[in-house]
Amino acid sequence: MQIKVITGEEREKAFACPKPPEVIDKQKLPVRYHVEDFDVKDRPQRFLEAFAAILKHTNYRLALDHYIRVSAKCSRCTTNCQVYLATGDDDDIPCKRSELLLSVYRRHFTIAGVLKGRLTGNIGLTDEHIQEIADSFWNCTACRRCILECPMGIDHGMITHLGRYILSEIGITPRALVVSTREQLLGATGNTSAIPVPALIDTLEFLSEDMEEEKGIEIPFPIDQEGAEYLFLPAVSDFMMEADTLMGNAAVFRATGDSWTVGTGYYDGINYGLFYSDHVLEKVLLKIKAEAERLKIKKILIGECGHASRSAKFFYPAYCGGKNALPVINILEYTHQVWKEGRLKLDPNVITERVTYHDPCNIARPGWIVDQPRELLKAFCRDYVEMTPSGRDNICCGGGGGTVSIDEIRPYRTAIGGKAKAEQIRATGAKYCVAPCANCKKQLKELMEDNNVDCEIVGLHDLLYKAIIFEGAKNPVNEEEKVQDK
Amino acid sequence: MQAWIEFGQGPLFRLCFVLMILGLIRIFILTIIGMVEALNRNTDKIVPYRDLIQKTLMWLFPIKHLWTKRPFYGLISVLFHVGLLIVPLFLAAHVLMWKNSVGFAWFSIPRGLADWLTIIVIVTGIVLFLMRASSKAGRALSRKQDYIWPLLLVVPFITGYICSNSAIGPAAYQLMMMVHVYSANLIMLMIPFTKIAHCILVPLSQLVTAISWKFPAGAGDMVIETLGYKEYPTWVKKPRLETPVELKVKEEINAE
Repeated sequence: MQIKVITGEEREKAFACPKPPEVIDKQKLPVRYHVEDFDVKDRPQRFLEAFAAILKHTNYRLALDHYIRVSAKCSRCTTNCQVYLATGDDDDIPCKRSELLLSVYRRHFTIAGVLKGRLTGNIGLTDEHIQEIADSFWNCTACRRCILECPMGIDHGMITHLGRYILSEIGITPRALVVSTREQLLGATGNTSAIPVPALIDTLEFLSEDMEEEKGIEIPFPIDQEGAEYLFLPAVSDFMMEADTLMGNAAVFRATGDSWTVGTGYYDGINYGLFYSDHVLEKVLLKIKAEAERLKIKKILIGECGHASRSAKFFYPAYCGGKNALPVINILEYTHQVWKEGRLKLDPNVITERVTYHDPCNIARPGWIVDQPRELLKAFCRDYVEMTPSGRDNICCGGGGGTVSIDEIRPYRTAIGGKAKAEQIRATGAKYCVAPCANCKKQLKELMEDNNVDCEIVGLHDLLYKAIIFEGAKNPVNEEEKVQDK
Repeated sequence: MQAWIEFGQGPLFRLCFVLMILGLIRIFILTIIGMVEALNRNTDKIVPYRDLIQKTLMWLFPIKHLWTKRPFYGLISVLFHVGLLIVPLFLAAHVLMWKNSVGFAWFSIPRGLADWLTIIVIVTGIVLFLMRASSKAGRALSRKQDYIWPLLLVVPFITGYICSNSAIGPAAYQLMMMVHVYSANLIMLMIPFTKIAHCILVPLSQLVTAISWKFPAGAGDMVIETLGYKEYPTWVKKPRLETPVELKVKEEINAE
């Protein structure tokens, strides 16, 4: 992958600060995202206290000790970071970004570092260094593509995660994420988009009616069904923004007849904890656990959302019972499985336009969901093309790691974070780009708009909904026949 | 000078060698202990060993991976490592020395091969140094030890090559041998305390990362308890600093 470094003009636009200088002055935080006011006094000390507390109760010390010993600074990660390739700034090299935190660890939490600091009169962590970390760690999209290229096996994504966790404990976290999380954990609606239950039920009923009209068959959204096999948790924003995806999900279940349900106690898959705090991560997963227990669910089914899927799949066992935890699957896995079993029939003549597939980092990087959506798409899309690179080695949409929710940094996301992706999609010439992830969808839509690429961003189930065949119902109209009719 | 060389080849070599081995064993065991502790603390103890072994082997023998990105750098780097590992262990003269100092030894490689490998190490070591020094990203990342290591590592190879291949006078030979022996001892001594520790730690990297990603249950609560927050810390609760309006309200209440 070769992309051009941004020009000076683009850089100015991308890095323009949306905040008034007096706010930056007051918070002593020259970052481009909004942060709620918090103590500025003694920040280095509080940072170190938070760091120490986290090290005491978690396993990060193991990783940090290992990483400071093996890091060889070979600069191979430069070939894989789409942010560095776009900016060309040395500070954006994944290994250098990690060094910001590793140097603090080395100086304050290893014997050799403390001794060396005393001997050389190094005063240690300064507020300027914290400001640098706060700026740099939220420029990273946490896509973890750099780890594919690290011969030493250093996971820079984990260091970014840890750095943000420490920052969050001293009050430095993008306001957009904190506000959503506050509503999710302490608010009345209990979800990040603040959708109340009556509105949710209304939406689902409306969608059901809509589908019945279109397909001539009743397609329900089961609500609060005790003992159902699957508890369905999409990114909650889908209920407002991605109705087509939800309709596709419901249609698949209508076709297979498996029991599933949306729970009114908790219906949000989003977990910003994955981006900035283990504490939030755990609290949100415990909410899922409580809802699954209330409804006596057998499996947890996450909708089309990358980070929701990863946070549930890989951290649900960690917080909710280890081996005995409920299995977590993604809707793409489910749909692929039932299609393979022959329980889902798809019309290969409906989608005739060129389609390409964008791998959400959170589900593709671990090699978890890579082939399943491709097999599905190839089954019902006539003109399917791949991006290069793709699969486990995919390029991030540019809005990963929670940055997509920070509206004030949109210029950065679409000019730098997503630059490589925009070129990639443009090169395929596809009409539809399938992105089975709420975050990717939002980012890619903005990316297409800001970079003038003519491509419609859809979910996999959006397309599937058009092609699904129900026996005894109105089948989808063949597009070619439609043209001939005219 | 001969006595110094013999001291360097004998007692000092044994000391440095033992310190290197002990140092490496220490960090290896510390890492293993760390992993066991972490697994004990975790609720989720499932580790995907197969996938991890595959990834580890892929990096230990990066034959397939070498050509995808920066193939020249990959090739140079692999050649450097191969020579670096084989010559000190399997050169005939070294095998003899191993036998004399540690008591047992193994097979040796032919002289011609050893010479070629030595030249490869010298050339690739210098190329690696130049690549680091000439690339902007390399310079931005490098610490002192990153520049010193490739150069330090080729010193015993250069001197060793000269000693065994050129017809130099006895004085020059002794000087070269002296540099050869003492630089090699210095390298061994420094390995456990610098980035070269990766020689023993890299096989554990994937496992360390996988285990560290498994977070222990309840850690978040314990962290905020340690930090002295009551229930939820700042990222959920209202911030500790009061806004001007809140301050005004407070003042009014106090005044009443």
